[in-house]
Amino acid sequence: MELKIALAGNPNCGKTTLFNDLTGSNQYVGNWPGVTVEKKEGKLKGHKDVIIQDLPGIYSLSPYTLEEVVARSYLVSEKPDAILNIIDGTNVERNLYLTTQLVELGLPVVMAVNMMDLVRKNGDKIDVAKLSAALGCEVVEISALKGEGGIAAAEKAMAAAQAKKAGELPHVFTGSVEHAIAHIEESISGKVPNNFLRWYAIKIFERDSKVMETLHLDAELKAHLEEHIADCEAELDDDAESIITNQRYAYINGVVDKAVKKKAAKHSLSTSDKIDRVVTNRVAALPIFAAVMFLVYYIAIGPLGTFLTDWTNDVLGTAWLVDIPRGWLEGVGCAGWLTGLICDGILAGVGAVLGFVPQMLVLFLMLSILEDVGYMARVAFIMDRIFRKFGLSGKSFIPMLISSGCGVPGVMASRTIENERDRRMTIMTTCFVPCGAKMPIIGLFAGALFGGSGLVAVSAYFIGVAAIILSGIILKKTKGFSGDPAPFVMELPQYHTPSAKNVFHATWERGWSFIKRAGTVIVASSMILWFLQGFGFTETGFGAVEDNNSSLLAAIGGAVCGIFAPLGFGNWQSTVATVTGLIAKENVVATFGVLFHIGDGVAEDDVALWGAIAQHYTMLSAYSFMVFNLLCAPCFAAMGAIKREMNSAKWTAAAIGYMCGLAYLVSLMIYQFGGLITGEVSFGLGTVAAVLVLAFFIYMLFRKNKYDDNRLTVSAVHAAKVVTR
Amino acid sequence: MNVPTIIGAVIVAAIFIAIVARGIYNKRHGKGGCSCGGDCGTCGCCHEK
Repeated sequence: MELKIALAGNPNCGKTTLFNDLTGSNQYVGNWPGVTVEKKEGKLKGHKDVIIQDLPGIYSLSPYTLEEVVARSYLVSEKPDAILNIIDGTNVERNLYLTTQLVELGLPVVMAVNMMDLVRKNGDKIDVAKLSAALGCEVVEISALKGEGGIAAAEKAMAAAQAKKAGELPHVFTGSVEHAIAHIEESISGKVPNNFLRWYAIKIFERDSKVMETLHLDAELKAHLEEHIADCEAELDDDAESIITNQRYAYINGVVDKAVKKKAAKHSLSTSDKIDRVVTNRVAALPIFAAVMFLVYYIAIGPLGTFLTDWTNDVLGTAWLVDIPRGWLEGVGCAGWLTGLICDGILAGVGAVLGFVPQMLVLFLMLSILEDVGYMARVAFIMDRIFRKFGLSGKSFIPMLISSGCGVPGVMASRTIENERDRRMTIMTTCFVPCGAKMPIIGLFAGALFGGSGLVAVSAYFIGVAAIILSGIILKKTKGFSGDPAPFVMELPQYHTPSAKNVFHATWERGWSFIKRAGTVIVASSMILWFLQGFGFTETGFGAVEDNNSSLLAAIGGAVCGIFAPLGFGNWQSTVATVTGLIAKENVVATFGVLFHIGDGVAEDDVALWGAIAQHYTMLSAYSFMVFNLLCAPCFAAMGAIKREMNSAKWTAAAIGYMCGLAYLVSLMIYQFGGLITGEVSFGLGTVAAVLVLAFFIYMLFRKNKYDDNRLTVSAVHAAKVVTR
Repeated sequence: MNVPTIIGAVIVAAIFIAIVARGIYNKRHGKGGCSCGGDCGTCGCCHEK
């Protein structure tokens, strides 16, 4: 018979690490809370009939967040055969809050105390026998990261599931609460499954609206239950939910006092605390963050990345990928058009993208290390203070963090933001962070026109962050986005040495995904591009053209390229690259690979593409083009994600329109003002437009927020509560 | 057209058709074109499991 075991626990307690250990899966493990937003399942190694379910990290079974809704619905509706509750051994007190609720579900529970290696290292002691006796479930010591004890814990959960017997319920609440709960149990008996009776009774006592809705109790019974609850509240002089919370913590404190012995003094600082005193310091946090990100992007797209990319272009891009196949195809007598399609179309396009794989891997490796070590969780905390000033919270930074890999899951991650206005604004701005696919564009221009300077990538990252901040300030002053940002509470994980397995896995997955796209979307796009740039209407009719300036692509791009002239890249090639970038952002580079690789004037050397780029752009127009492509509408996949998350054609159009509009205006200012300084542009209509745009931005940034009245300060909320009482 | 050209053209056409067909298949099966690597925490939002 198939057994289902659910892994439940607080965020960042090591559930996914244990899940991977038990099932042999390779689910992404991140050292920050909220990595798993939904449940995942896999088969226990060596037991094909045992399904392990990895649930999102939750602090309680109250439906406050999406993760808690997902986990609770699963546990109550699908009823797993057993729950394997993972708790963080370095923070037993907080983790037991969920445990006391899980055991009330009436399902067999086995508790796995994780991070025992750290507990021992800290010199602390946990008496698992006492924990087991106090909570009415078996307790096992494990270290998921080191692969210790996980299987033993799963086997105990299997045994508990087969026995189908829940443990004895601990006496968490005091007499009057137990009395009220007993009355509620009696009243709803027969209306809910027997083993869930106590859990439902406690939820009714807490006045959990979602549970009340599912039970469809009649008005008379509801009034009767309310009497019991009100009596208890009057006796204890507190509201029902607070009574339950306080008594749970009182019980947990008693259990922890007996079972956990800490070596360090109660309020002494851990190593993580000491690091945080510097890293999250009020003054130093931002400069440290800026310096870290500067280093990451400088190294990846700067000297080291460029060196690796040069080598890849030399050996792979030109010699292996293009010259060898060309020689072979010509040798076997292939027709010139087919050799052109394969070498100058497909391979040139794919090669242009693949050339950036080393830079991508270096970037992904460094971002993965920062995530795994625990620094990225701190960045969300640091950014909360800044984001809050312009109407967003640190919670919006998590989608932006994910977007540095790919915008699609970044947009999806905005689901965890409960406030609709914050969520919409996060969706509209999260794609401003340069994703992995935009990196080749940066690398290409940095290499072709800026001597491989890492500063180009650094500036691109900070332009993305600045676009988010400025958008926040501007949009928050509009009716659709006004109001206070939602509160942000996030548990900062302990710093730890990055796990080589996690880091290389995350790096490889992102890198492999980049390579896969080059082998699929980019191949198909390059074929179409090669055809469109090689054929057109001539005096003799439709056919192959010698000069791609006479091609179909030139005709299409040339019809609209004028609108980009004030931005400095009014040629048809740039327009075509921008449009093909909507299929996948890497396609911008692939398009240049196809369009420029076959130009007569391009030298057949190792940096042929860079040379062609340098011929078509100045430093200023290249930078303007790069910024436009970083900020404008993302790829179709990300636009689809925006449409799904906005769930409104109007808001989707507004989001994409806003991105394109902002990109155009920012690029216009860069080119026009930059051109005036360098002498590349003379004062004209474009400059006047740029001045007007700048004035508009200054006005939008500094105008009074007429919706300020909608915002409540903390003291105002507090005062209101006091008055109500 | 000689034989190598015909074989090469058929292979290139097959690759193109396979890529497009795979893209349509993925789209119909709820897999977007995202490049998250297929294993991120929010995967199920854009990939059916």
